[in-house]
Amino acid sequence: MIGFCLSDPHPDRAGDGSPIRTLSAARFYGRYRLVDFMLSNMVNSKIFSIAMILNSHYQSLIEHIGMGKEWDLARKSGGVTFFPPYYADERRSVNSELDGPLQRAAVFLSEKKEDYVVLADSSVVYNMNYRTAFEAHRKSGADVTAIYTKKSIMPGERENTVVFTISEEGQVTGIGQAPLNTDTINVSLGAYIMHKRTFIQLTAGERNCGMFRFSRVLLADALERLNVQAYEFKGYSAHICSVETFFHYNLDVLDIDKRNSLFDFEGRRIFTNIWDSLPTKYGKQADIKNSIVADGCRIEGTVINSVICRNVKIAAGAVVKNCVLQDDTIVENGASLDCIITDRSVKISENRKMIGYRTYPVYIERGRVI
Amino acid sequence: MITERKECIAMLLAGGRGSRLKALTEQVAKPAVTFGGKYKIIDFPLTNCVRSGIDTVGVMTQYQPLLLHDYIGKGQHWDLDRLHGGVSSLPPHSKPDSTAWYSGTANAVYQNQNFIDNFAPEYVLVLAGDHVYKMNYNTMLDYHKSVDAACTIAVIEVPMKDASRFGILNTAPDDSVVEFEEKPENPKNNLASMGIYIFSWHILKEYLNKDEQDPNSKHDFGGDILPTMLKDGQRLFAYRFDGYWKDVGTEESLWQANMDLLDDLHLGFEDWHILSKSAGRPPHYIAPTGSIKSTLITEGCEIYGSVENSILSGGVIVEEGAVVKDCVIMENSRICKNATVTYSILDEDTVIPEGVTAGVSREDGGKLNVYSQHDTSLETTKGGQAK
Repeated sequence: MIGFCLSDPHPDRAGDGSPIRTLSAARFYGRYRLVDFMLSNMVNSKIFSIAMILNSHYQSLIEHIGMGKEWDLARKSGGVTFFPPYYADERRSVNSELDGPLQRAAVFLSEKKEDYVVLADSSVVYNMNYRTAFEAHRKSGADVTAIYTKKSIMPGERENTVVFTISEEGQVTGIGQAPLNTDTINVSLGAYIMHKRTFIQLTAGERNCGMFRFSRVLLADALERLNVQAYEFKGYSAHICSVETFFHYNLDVLDIDKRNSLFDFEGRRIFTNIWDSLPTKYGKQADIKNSIVADGCRIEGTVINSVICRNVKIAAGAVVKNCVLQDDTIVENGASLDCIITDRSVKISENRKMIGYRTYPVYIERGRVI
Repeated sequence: MITERKECIAMLLAGGRGSRLKALTEQVAKPAVTFGGKYKIIDFPLTNCVRSGIDTVGVMTQYQPLLLHDYIGKGQHWDLDRLHGGVSSLPPHSKPDSTAWYSGTANAVYQNQNFIDNFAPEYVLVLAGDHVYKMNYNTMLDYHKSVDAACTIAVIEVPMKDASRFGILNTAPDDSVVEFEEKPENPKNNLASMGIYIFSWHILKEYLNKDEQDPNSKHDFGGDILPTMLKDGQRLFAYRFDGYWKDVGTEESLWQANMDLLDDLHLGFEDWHILSKSAGRPPHYIAPTGSIKSTLITEGCEIYGSVENSILSGGVIVEEGAVVKDCVIMENSRICKNATVTYSILDEDTVIPEGVTAGVSREDGGKLNVYSQHDTSLETTKGGQAK
């Protein structure tokens, strides 16, 4: 099997709120990026050849993955192959249309000896062995196996969520948007298994396409001629598609059952790149409850219900509640934060107070000093 | 066969058991003992080498080498996976004319002459694998060259009252060595050898071969090679180091060196933080019932109880109602519900069972305890005081 990763262009200011980074490079659980889950799932399913279609602002994603060493993907054969957009004709001006990376990826696929493709969305977080879904795919004789989970979604997620209608025989008969006011629905994980021929046919004529378009347009249009079988995933999953979902799901995994379903589940680890940060040091006055803290932090103040990423400093007398503080954030003495997301290298000066709301977290851009 | 010429290569002595660490080194060699939550002792000399621009390191192993070899790997964690040089694990091996264990520090280097000659170095840096410090060996090498020494010995000033526990160097005003005393009863000064030597290779090679022929020699650098060189009038110089340096060869000093990190986290500056092999666990979690004061914690820990003045390594679980104070706890240990552990070192995978009290606090005059996973005293005292 070959892994194939599509990512969506960010619908608003990207998943980690940052307008300058692609969604799959957003932070999750203190030290991970969203893409780590997709890559780890591939590797844990013994898929060591992965194609990644890049859209825009992919610099930090490439920096993060590099040669793929930390995912055991730095290999002589296989590994990660990037498909960035570029100009089809070098003489064209900057304003001309971009060549479609999908067309080049189709050539790449057809030259590979592997027959099957696992298509995955790098902005969905879960821990799964694709091999079991692949077994089901082969047994059912389906053209496409679509992986989904039964759950309810938060209101802000609705327009980015793909929902399946599934027949009693387990066939996907409809692909659409989530209805208003519903409880549990069949939510697509953006993961599909199919023969590479099917994938190439489905995407023929596309220059580039995100996961959303693939599901809602390309696959939806083909439902009449293709046998698309549904495969249920029963673990925890989170689709990060906006500032609100980024905030909600980061704090959601403070729940131990959800954490356990994501990390080391059935022995499947989630890999990420290594920084060699120092251990985190807590001071004499540190007061910390119900929080996740990555390495490299210095914590002297109060932290409640929060996710603290690497190398964050929180001074004595500072209070951090319901926050996601990303790498290198500094919170000075007497500052108070509630429902705040900080991007990298944000500094909250002495005695500053900022309050967002659970359903409307305030996002502070990279490098800002408050 | 010369693969590529190197000016200076390092030879790291990592074969010792470190018997004064007792249970902590039953399964692993001393350099592979955990330190500071996410490091092994060997990370310090290896990081120092890389930061000093020394990209060729031979690690001489002998006692319990499996975990150490696995840890070192190809050297990738220290950027020592190089096309030429890099890190090489050098256990004793049989040769056409001999099969011998390393019988002393000098003998270990003697047996690896071929390895060294592959790089045709001018200088060889000899390092111990049981010290915690950050040092630029390159500055020391510059000094070695500037005084035209045959051997330069790194020294540090220790408190006069402790001087009799070290190898003490008596020097002339130009810092040339005039006398070398191993653990003197009445030390004349407080310049202690740090166990870090730079030799001009052609001179060292001559002395290693001479020493090998001496039936009375213990083949030790401090005890044999250096005194002989001094007697022969070779130029030996002391190189003064004034940073943090700690020998972690005993349980007490290992505990103290860990605790030193709480006062001064000297493990990292921008350009010299210690490199290590990371287990890549998720960040740690502090529960609503958890409490943490003056403590160093790393990835994978889950804290439901109370932790104070301690160093916790990866994957340590402190359950609800448990109390941890003044402890150094190594990977994947677990303090079960309502257990209390004070003033102790817990080896990897140690479990303090529910309700057990382990260790006696320092305030009550307790002595440092070391618990390991095979410690039966913990199991039999369920609900009571462990030894």
